[in-house]
Amino acid sequence: MLARIAQELYWLGRNLARAEFTARVVDGVFQVELQGQPDAEPGVVLGWNELLAMLGSGEEGERVQRLEALQRLTLDAKTRNSMVSSVERAREGARTVRDVISADMWEAINTTALTLRGDDPSSWLAPAGPYLACKYIKERTALIGGLGDRTMLRDEAKSFLDAGSFIETADMVLRMLHVAFPPNADAIEGGGHALALLQAVGGFQAYRRAVPAPPNARPVARFLLFERAYPDSVAACVDSLHDALESADPSPRNSEPVLRLSRLAADLDFQRRTLADSAEIGATCEAVRDELVRVDADLADRYFAGAARHRGTTVV
Amino acid sequence: MPPDRRERENARVESETLTSDDQEAYAPRAPFRDELFDADGTPRPAAGALIAGLGRLGREGLTDAGRRRDAIFLQQGITFETAGENGPSRERPFPLDLVPRIITGAEWHDLQQGLAQRIRALNHFVDDVYHGREIVREGIVPWQLIAGRSHFARAVHGIRPPGGVYCHVAGCDLVRDSDGTWKVLEDNVRTPSGISYVLENRAAMARLVPGLFGSYRVRPVDHYPQLLLAALRSVSPSADSEATVVVWTPGPLNSAYFEHAFLARQMGVELVEASDLVVRDDVVYMRTTAGLKRVHAVYRRLDDDFIDPLEFRPDSMLGVPGLVRAYRAGTVAIANALGTGVADDKAVYHYVPEMIRYYLGEEPHLENVRTYLLSDPEQLEHVLGRVGELVVKPTGESGGKGVTIGPAASDEELARLVVELRAHPERWIAQEVVHLSTVPTAGPDGRLHPRHVDLRPFAVFGERIDIVPGGLTRVALEEGSMIVNSSRGGGSKDTWVLGGEDGDEPLDATLPEPLPPALPDLRYGGWTGQAQQQQQGRAC
Repeated sequence: MLARIAQELYWLGRNLARAEFTARVVDGVFQVELQGQPDAEPGVVLGWNELLAMLGSGEEGERVQRLEALQRLTLDAKTRNSMVSSVERAREGARTVRDVISADMWEAINTTALTLRGDDPSSWLAPAGPYLACKYIKERTALIGGLGDRTMLRDEAKSFLDAGSFIETADMVLRMLHVAFPPNADAIEGGGHALALLQAVGGFQAYRRAVPAPPNARPVARFLLFERAYPDSVAACVDSLHDALESADPSPRNSEPVLRLSRLAADLDFQRRTLADSAEIGATCEAVRDELVRVDADLADRYFAGAARHRGTTVV
Repeated sequence: MPPDRRERENARVESETLTSDDQEAYAPRAPFRDELFDADGTPRPAAGALIAGLGRLGREGLTDAGRRRDAIFLQQGITFETAGENGPSRERPFPLDLVPRIITGAEWHDLQQGLAQRIRALNHFVDDVYHGREIVREGIVPWQLIAGRSHFARAVHGIRPPGGVYCHVAGCDLVRDSDGTWKVLEDNVRTPSGISYVLENRAAMARLVPGLFGSYRVRPVDHYPQLLLAALRSVSPSADSEATVVVWTPGPLNSAYFEHAFLARQMGVELVEASDLVVRDDVVYMRTTAGLKRVHAVYRRLDDDFIDPLEFRPDSMLGVPGLVRAYRAGTVAIANALGTGVADDKAVYHYVPEMIRYYLGEEPHLENVRTYLLSDPEQLEHVLGRVGELVVKPTGESGGKGVTIGPAASDEELARLVVELRAHPERWIAQEVVHLSTVPTAGPDGRLHPRHVDLRPFAVFGERIDIVPGGLTRVALEEGSMIVNSSRGGGSKDTWVLGGEDGDEPLDATLPEPLPPALPDLRYGGWTGQAQQQQQGRAC
């Protein structure tokens, strides 16, 4: 398949995942922010400014109010990582590859973008806050993903699409952990917004079933990093990403990104077993993030004919 | 009263509910020919069942189907962009009118013969221009005229593509005069577009107003992509296995991108941009996730000028350097061939009937619209005298750009035009005004009004010439307007060619004589001469 098309598909997957995660997080933070901190202990902190920093949409050291942040993250087409921008970018990408993805999937993406544009975009926010818009995007991205799974041929094209969405999910979760657990914070004992964090990524129920411990900062972080059984955890995403690339590559045994991912998966598994409870989780997150950035570069070199890093993609 | 006449009368009565509140039936506009109704407002024989079907649907049904159509087209992204009043462009659903146009099997049979004949002659002409120039030597077409065209491609002189086919895809614009004869308004043998709308229109009609198809046996159109793929494969220079065919688009910002993606998807081939193609050692490859892959045939949807910065416009960002070298080496087929633009020039158009007589030894089946070449001083004087009655067009333009319709122009415009014509007569042609036929077209309220139409059938030339039944009917949605381009307020209609015992005859498929591929003429007396020179050089 064409290198350019593979790259477009990869970024289509990333943009859709980014839109979905932004919607989840905005919804989660909105609920948390309305109420105060649950207790006085230091712990996970989740607020609008953290969120903007995480998505790379805020200026350095800038403090913004709730309404302003909401505007920027949901329906502002000028903010690069607002939900609408991600959906619009996905639509542009899908338009370019509409001969590769299935017609059902294209129509679903197209209608999502057109509905969000709507006649009166502000009606999405008033009066119930971002709930309507977030719910709509969560549902539509699930629909688009489902349609893709059911209607697309499981060939290279699907593999690159999936690869994009897995790497983006892993990246978003890592970024969220990075913001919520500053790397210099000493052993975190309290809960803080850990519960909210879980709810924001949509993993609360899964956590309750998988982990007996109360949702305090540390077990939550471990869950989001290492729990293979939870599909949006970093370890699960790395596994799936590895599988997607392995099936896309004609010779996976000497493929740089596949090898790198095998190593990373093994590493995560090893840390899950050996990481002491008191060790700093922030450092692990940093290391995994760096590794994923290298995977992204390897991908471009190997499959996308060394195409220049896509516009507006690396968010620091 | 004979039974079929009675049926048509009934249909007329039923259709009146559709056309008016005040008992006034649909009135064709004299002197134009209406394709569904006689001059007295009775449905034509072939249209009876359709008119009755429209009557059953009623105005409500028609407007309702129109709303569903817009929703579906928006959802599927079958849109085109129009510049909004304040800046950003808006996407609008492609305007499809729900009343189809009907062409009987017998009429289509004649049209098909005429088109095939015309395309064969044009193909011969392109071959001749870049090789022997026989038609120039015979004094039929002046060489100055050909060489002066902006589409004359010096770079491809002497190259003969496989099978001697240049015009793989052709679309002629036809109009129907008030006496019912079909006339050719324009030939398109570069990159005619619109076929995707023909297919999408048919699919939408079957979904929105299935009742209208009723008892008709409408001939299908959806085999076009397969025809095109087969034609491209048949001209590909590939010895082993299946030829790799690609569709080359200038990019998603092009207004016809929808069509490019549509054709690639329907044919199951890759849609490439310039950055995907690369030429190594005179062979064309595309960049894939598994390295370079050889390409055998390119269906290109951009003009000659942009195709190769080394041979044509050096500032082209859309081109592939070295493509023309590969083409000259015969390792890749390009459709349509380079340099076909000389054949669809508006000044060359005038000579097409002569070409048919000269190359094929036949009388043309399809007439031209009477055309005046302004480079001829006598004709120029004649035209200047009647400039208010004629249509004046710039040569070498397309899409209705720069056309002045005499009867509709203001005195000031005409005065400016006269000055321009005197200054550069060779850049213009003048044509008699044609009375475009009309077809009933639904207004926003579901009432039918006569609107002017033209027709662009699409032909595919590979091992033989295939013409898809019907083609794109474009309709001017403004009352009285004759400008049908969708960029300027035109819409389209589904075109029904009726199947019948007389309509299914195979085409008269005489091919051009298969000519062996030729290398460019060499100076100094061809190959032998050059070999001698080299030997002389060595002897020194």
